[in-house]
Amino acid sequence: MTTDLAGTADVDADRWLAVATELRDGGCDFFDWLSAYDDADAGLAVVARVWSVADRRGAMIRTRVSRDAGVLPTLTALWAGAGWHERETAEMFGIRFAGHPDLRPLLLPAGFEGHPLRKEFVLASRVAKEWPGAKEPGESVAGRKRPPGVPPPGAWGP
Amino acid sequence: MAGDVTIEWGHTFRLHVLDVGLACCAVEFAAAAARGADMAAVGARPVVARPREANVMVISGTVTDKLAVQVKRLYDELPADGFVLSFGSCSNSGGPYWDSYSVTKGVDQMIPVDVYVPGCPPRPEALLGGLALLNERIGP
Repeated sequence: MTTDLAGTADVDADRWLAVATELRDGGCDFFDWLSAYDDADAGLAVVARVWSVADRRGAMIRTRVSRDAGVLPTLTALWAGAGWHERETAEMFGIRFAGHPDLRPLLLPAGFEGHPLRKEFVLASRVAKEWPGAKEPGESVAGRKRPPGVPPPGAWGP
Repeated sequence: MAGDVTIEWGHTFRLHVLDVGLACCAVEFAAAAARGADMAAVGARPVVARPREANVMVISGTVTDKLAVQVKRLYDELPADGFVLSFGSCSNSGGPYWDSYSVTKGVDQMIPVDVYVPGCPPRPEALLGGLALLNERIGP
């Protein structure tokens, strides 16, 4: 376990639950938040922050899971408040939280395909339409590099 | 005649406006609705307690694909001669969220819109302007 300048402790995925349990037993009784970010080749990073109300101190822990079959043990047994955070992270990034009581999508409509906060998720509107925010009508956007979320021409769509 | 005056008076309050407040534009709606006299001047009255009294829906805010179902449901409860006013960039076209995975690119993809009010957010006066336009379009 290493800690960076911001005080975030990196833990291995198989130690995730153990470290969280230590924090909870060490007085961190309040679950602040859990989310993830797409760390490109390094996989998906999951970050959680917990807080001790009595001692007024917190801890942030981070781990990495693979893009393809990312799975982490749920923290809901330690903090019930982790439930919604894990549901949201599951649908947005495609990470499974093993042992979660109810991992249905929380925010996305039924039938939504893909995990929209991953870098490879295609933003269809950007593919179909130029950025509409040019300052003047007819202002050139030619030569602009492809915006994030748009695959190379011909790589996606009909 | 006194009778005509009474009828005319009734006609001036013919827009019964339901605010479907979905995001920050709803604050601007509230600012406009808070001054009942201004609303009355354009022949409108905000409906608060019972949505089914309304004959005008103002969509003020960001419609998401998930919430679109509920917006459609409200629209279905409008009387057949009801009107829809789209208030602000988001409900007009998706606005700043035009490329989002979750935002509906304009409420008119789902329900017909009679008046569009541009702005992000539009000022309360712009809502009154939109309602006045609608009133004018309906005719005497």
